[in-house]
Amino acid sequence: MEALFYVFSFIAIFSALMVVTMRNPLTSALYLVLCFFALAGFYVILDMQFLAAMQILVYAGAIMVLVVLVIMLLNISRIKNIKSDLHQKIIGVLISLILFAEIVLYIINGAQKRPSGIFTHALIKRIGNTQVIGEFLFTGYILPFEIASILLFVAIIGAYLFAKKKF
Amino acid sequence: MFWLIADIIKILIVFAGLLMSAAYLTLLERKIAARIQNRMGPMEAGFHGFLQPIADGIKLFFKEDIIPEGANKFLFLLAPIIVVIPALTTFAVIPFGAPIKIMGHIVPLQVADVNIGILFILALTSLGVYGVVLGGWASNSKYSLLGAIRTAAQMISYEVALVLSIVGIIMIAGDLSLAKIVSEQSHMWFIVYQPVGFIIYLIASTAEMNRVPFDLGEAEGEIVAGFHTEYSSMEFAFYFIGEYAQMVVNSAIIVTLFLGGWQGPFLPSVLWFLAKVFFVILIYLWLRWTYPRLRYDELMDLGWKVLLPLALANIIVTGFIMILLNR
Repeated sequence: MEALFYVFSFIAIFSALMVVTMRNPLTSALYLVLCFFALAGFYVILDMQFLAAMQILVYAGAIMVLVVLVIMLLNISRIKNIKSDLHQKIIGVLISLILFAEIVLYIINGAQKRPSGIFTHALIKRIGNTQVIGEFLFTGYILPFEIASILLFVAIIGAYLFAKKKF
Repeated sequence: MFWLIADIIKILIVFAGLLMSAAYLTLLERKIAARIQNRMGPMEAGFHGFLQPIADGIKLFFKEDIIPEGANKFLFLLAPIIVVIPALTTFAVIPFGAPIKIMGHIVPLQVADVNIGILFILALTSLGVYGVVLGGWASNSKYSLLGAIRTAAQMISYEVALVLSIVGIIMIAGDLSLAKIVSEQSHMWFIVYQPVGFIIYLIASTAEMNRVPFDLGEAEGEIVAGFHTEYSSMEFAFYFIGEYAQMVVNSAIIVTLFLGGWQGPFLPSVLWFLAKVFFVILIYLWLRWTYPRLRYDELMDLGWKVLLPLALANIIVTGFIMILLNR
């Protein structure tokens, strides 16, 4: 298991680096797909098969296909000289510093904590994590779940209005 | 040790069976097309053209391998492989027979019983689109690119209906594992409870496989051969192996979800499974040689305005009936 963790980590970090360093947007998008696969591998190691399947089905199978489609439609893969200005660089450096600080904080504080609660590995193996997630979504976390669905609904209507233009 | 050997044997059987059936489906398709059009079909190689797939394979293998100028070479070679791998991997979770007893162990005839079997299948089938899209894009050709863009739009549209049409089955079975779904159908096949879901899945899976009447991506009258215009030799053959392997896998999924899987009286379970799969494949072939290609707007209308609302209505009605019957 530990060896698998390192393999997936290596793939995830390598592909994430490739996403930001590749010049061709389509290649970046494909490396992002590879990154999603590595993340799905992490979920499988954590006994979260449902999340792993969803990661591939939703992100790799649907969202990234749309991204690839848009890249192909706009034909932006041939752009040679990328413009960059000072503002972009400052904001980029700031954001990466904040992210780095967050990661350091997590690593310092996360080491001592162990997972707690009634859902142990044995219990999840018996009833299946899909059922557990479903129960939580429709009982304890029903409000955030519904808010997320309304947000998506609003986004769909917004996209429709933008695409239609005439009322 | 016993389990390792059993698993390896199962994997080899499934792998060889899938590749062989993909090869011989080309012959079956040509024969059935010939019957429908009142011809004989391939007759020269072997008895009634029985060696035709092998001859075709050898021919394609020895053809010159042409990579167009300006193509992205890596993606160009990768794309046909991406088409084949998800199709072959999907079969890993499909139970193709009743558990058998070997040397005191009960061996399930299924490579891996994943507890999220259906989701595994859906996740992998959703990746098939990459092979087509990348192949079309990497060819550096207008026709290929047009075919790829059409296919991407089509697959995204039909995947929604495809996924939603299965939800009714999951609700009735109460489980995502395919072995459980098959055992739930011991009294009654799910096609009886879910006829609408069956029809939607049949249509949407035909669209997912890019077959006539949904072959907008390779419409030979409009864009030469669509996404595989520039392909030759074994890469071209890979697209075909992928398409036919997908057809076998989709038929197996339909059999598992709607037609009771391997269950049936008298005959051995594996035979029942194969017979049912063969029957569904015949439906796919029949569809292909009966209907003309849809126009592009008709295709989108059918996907978004007919199949999607129908699939949603199917879920709601299934839920209501289940509550009324107190299940």
